[in-house]
Amino acid sequence: MRIGIDVGGTHTDAVVLDGQYVVTSTKVLTSANVRDGVVNALDEVLDDSRVPLQAIDAVMIGTTQFTNAVIERRELAPTAIIRIALPSGELVPPMVDWPEDIADALGRHVYMIHGGRTYDGFPIAPLEDAEIDAAIDEIAAKGIQLVAVSGVFSPSDPQQEDYVAARIIKRHPGMRVTRSYKIGRLGLLERENAALLNASLLPLADRVVQSFASALKLRKLDCPFYISQNDGTLMSAEFAAEFPALTFASGPTNSLRGASLLTDLQDAVVVDIGGTTSDVGVLQEGFPRQSNIAIEVGGVRTNFRMPDILAIGLGGGSLVHDAGQMIGPRSVGYRLVEEGLVFGGDTLTATDIVVAAGKAEVGDASRVKELDAGLVATAVKTIHSIVDKGIDQMKSSREPVPVVLVGGGAILVSQSLQTASEIHRPEHSGVANAIGAANAQVGAETERIVSYRRTPRDQMLAELTAQLGAELVEAGAEEQSLRLADVEETAISYMAEESTRLRVKMVGDLSLLHEGGGQ
Amino acid sequence: MTVTVTHTDIADLCAGSVFLATGGGGDPYISQILVQQSLQKYGPVDLVPLAEVPDDAYVVAIGEVGAPTVSLEQLPIGNECLEVVDRFEAHVGRKISHLVSFEVGGANSVIPLITAAAKKIPLIDGDGMGRALPEAQMMTFAIEGVSPSPAVSVDYTGGSVYFDTKDTLLYERQVRNIAMAMGGMIFTAEHPMTGTQAKRAIVPGTISFALEVGRVLRSKAGNAKQVEAPLKALFERSDYGVFKHLYTGKIVDIDRKIVGGFDVGEAIVEAVGGNAEPLKLSIKNEFLVATVGGRVVASVPDLITMVDHETSSPINSERLHYGQRVTVFGIGCPPHYRTARALAVVAPRAFGFDFDYRPIESL
Repeated sequence: MRIGIDVGGTHTDAVVLDGQYVVTSTKVLTSANVRDGVVNALDEVLDDSRVPLQAIDAVMIGTTQFTNAVIERRELAPTAIIRIALPSGELVPPMVDWPEDIADALGRHVYMIHGGRTYDGFPIAPLEDAEIDAAIDEIAAKGIQLVAVSGVFSPSDPQQEDYVAARIIKRHPGMRVTRSYKIGRLGLLERENAALLNASLLPLADRVVQSFASALKLRKLDCPFYISQNDGTLMSAEFAAEFPALTFASGPTNSLRGASLLTDLQDAVVVDIGGTTSDVGVLQEGFPRQSNIAIEVGGVRTNFRMPDILAIGLGGGSLVHDAGQMIGPRSVGYRLVEEGLVFGGDTLTATDIVVAAGKAEVGDASRVKELDAGLVATAVKTIHSIVDKGIDQMKSSREPVPVVLVGGGAILVSQSLQTASEIHRPEHSGVANAIGAANAQVGAETERIVSYRRTPRDQMLAELTAQLGAELVEAGAEEQSLRLADVEETAISYMAEESTRLRVKMVGDLSLLHEGGGQ
Repeated sequence: MTVTVTHTDIADLCAGSVFLATGGGGDPYISQILVQQSLQKYGPVDLVPLAEVPDDAYVVAIGEVGAPTVSLEQLPIGNECLEVVDRFEAHVGRKISHLVSFEVGGANSVIPLITAAAKKIPLIDGDGMGRALPEAQMMTFAIEGVSPSPAVSVDYTGGSVYFDTKDTLLYERQVRNIAMAMGGMIFTAEHPMTGTQAKRAIVPGTISFALEVGRVLRSKAGNAKQVEAPLKALFERSDYGVFKHLYTGKIVDIDRKIVGGFDVGEAIVEAVGGNAEPLKLSIKNEFLVATVGGRVVASVPDLITMVDHETSSPINSERLHYGQRVTVFGIGCPPHYRTARALAVVAPRAFGFDFDYRPIESL
């Protein structure tokens, strides 16, 4: 069995899972020190389920602490960047397009040195030790302990970033370094931004991971614990302490993964209906479909992949106008419980419509008895057509698809949907994030520019698959469970030699859960 | 009318340029940063109307050549577009009187602004395409018989190659190969011409027009339905003349591969929930041909451009992906591309399609 925990800004949720079965779940307040909230949540689920501690194989934690720190510009430590690229990029220095306040938070400790490689591996300029050391010593003289290192085409050839990082540690063993190729994809500015944010979060990451560890220790849970990352796979606590930026998108990812685990569906559209808006996301092979556009975190461009989410203006508190032909996007939001008709208020909301139609028991149904039956019927139709339209925009094929409804507003959908082949309303959807966090897969991906004329495609894929497989087994994956989750190829325009940007992702099941038998 | 471009206009200009790039030209993000910096440092740039260029002017075209995708990883130094002008002038032994952009699509529509701002060389409001197209012989300069050389390139090392090639097809081959050898992207100064030649060879008013397009896209920010009417009005009173809504739907298939150094492929857009025949888009870096049910509804050199249906932001061909909801517009090309001489190098047959060009207004 395993425990999934979601540490949000307001609530800390926890679930105990036995395979796919939810044994128990809880929602408590997040504490300022993180640890106490986790302890409280653990107490509730452990007391409630009476599961013996030794039956817990692992604890998985999802958290938005790091995203919130970036957005709120708090707990970001002073950080330097060394970019290996000169002479290229001289007038497009690191942090050039950052918002002032966050650039101030990290300081503007920017160093550019000679080096890097072209798309086909040719050195842009030789690395010079004297130049590297001068930068390192100046950073040290400023008292800065955290350094990000980026290099041109480092995802294809990481050797130069590794060399500079090793030199930093050798000269100043107390420093901590984030190498850009470890966390980002091609796109130098975005990858370097991600490395900078990551490095500046390292002290906070230490504290948060420590808080998790001490909460588990206080409750005598000595099983391994993992932290969930952007793509819905897990990382170890040690890894998370090195790469906190990899959790930036884990919130929406866990919500979608949770919907998959609760329904056992691999391919589906998930509609999370809240009070004001609904988020529509897509599950492909059990994982969220990713967005293709550059993602900003706190105003800084990064190239993390985030789930492709469509927000539509429909929720339980959405206002109903035009005799039911228009619903939303304006909403009474969290004031629904005061302003909605069924709650004694005098605003007609989507929730009132569902109650009037006799499809849900919320509040005082007698307060909507007098509503015009024609208006109610029209409004019910409008609600369904809004949801249909959102699903239709997101689904990947013409045919109707399985639809999973989650969130407090899921009651709004009371009839069949044209776009849905089947509708699922899983229990426990209120703690979908914690359930998503408790998933049991690890993943790894790599990206490079390749020429299939030089290395045949099959050989290239075999090489990368072997490399990723080895990484995954080291990360705790069961060898037999490894599978290629994604192969993405993008042709590069205007190059006479056939160059392709190839991205490969592998995933595998965490071996300890097999050992635990998932009983 | 003289239009002045300031650093606050650049985001609009880039959005308009991506719209006119018909899927090609690449993401102008890095260029956008560089231009904003330059205009903040050196002040705004006045665009010179083509009609005001003296006959004895010495006009030189500048811009970048290569693979835009690569330049998001290997950045330019940032001063290549200044260096290339210095070296060109030193090479030919005379001063450039006016600059002009290769193409209004993508990064090349804004890069010459850096040179114009820093070197105080007047920049002509116009370009050599009125859109984006992949090769040198497709520029209106070449079509008007302007020799590509003398020409100079500058690469990421700050090094230069000097070209003395009168044949545009050969020049295209040479410059493409130098770009590949030098990390995938170089900057060139080329196609020198007199003011008299320039007035025939340059598509006028396109830079200020791209700015207007961008302003509509950004100020009306909303779905494609909301921007359609203002865009149509804008295009129909310009040299482009024709603006048609071709299709709204969802990308249901996308297939791309590299053939002969170009990103070649096909995208299928299907009407949402409707029974209409899907729209098929043929791509070679740019969107070249659109057909519905086997019938051509727009083809190169007319413009086919695609926007995200919900936000109206124009989409580069490399950013197309399955499931996107898009609106496709067809736009008449500038009259420069409708002559027999131009069509020999920019009509569908020049890209290997087996049918003759018919103007979009007759389709």
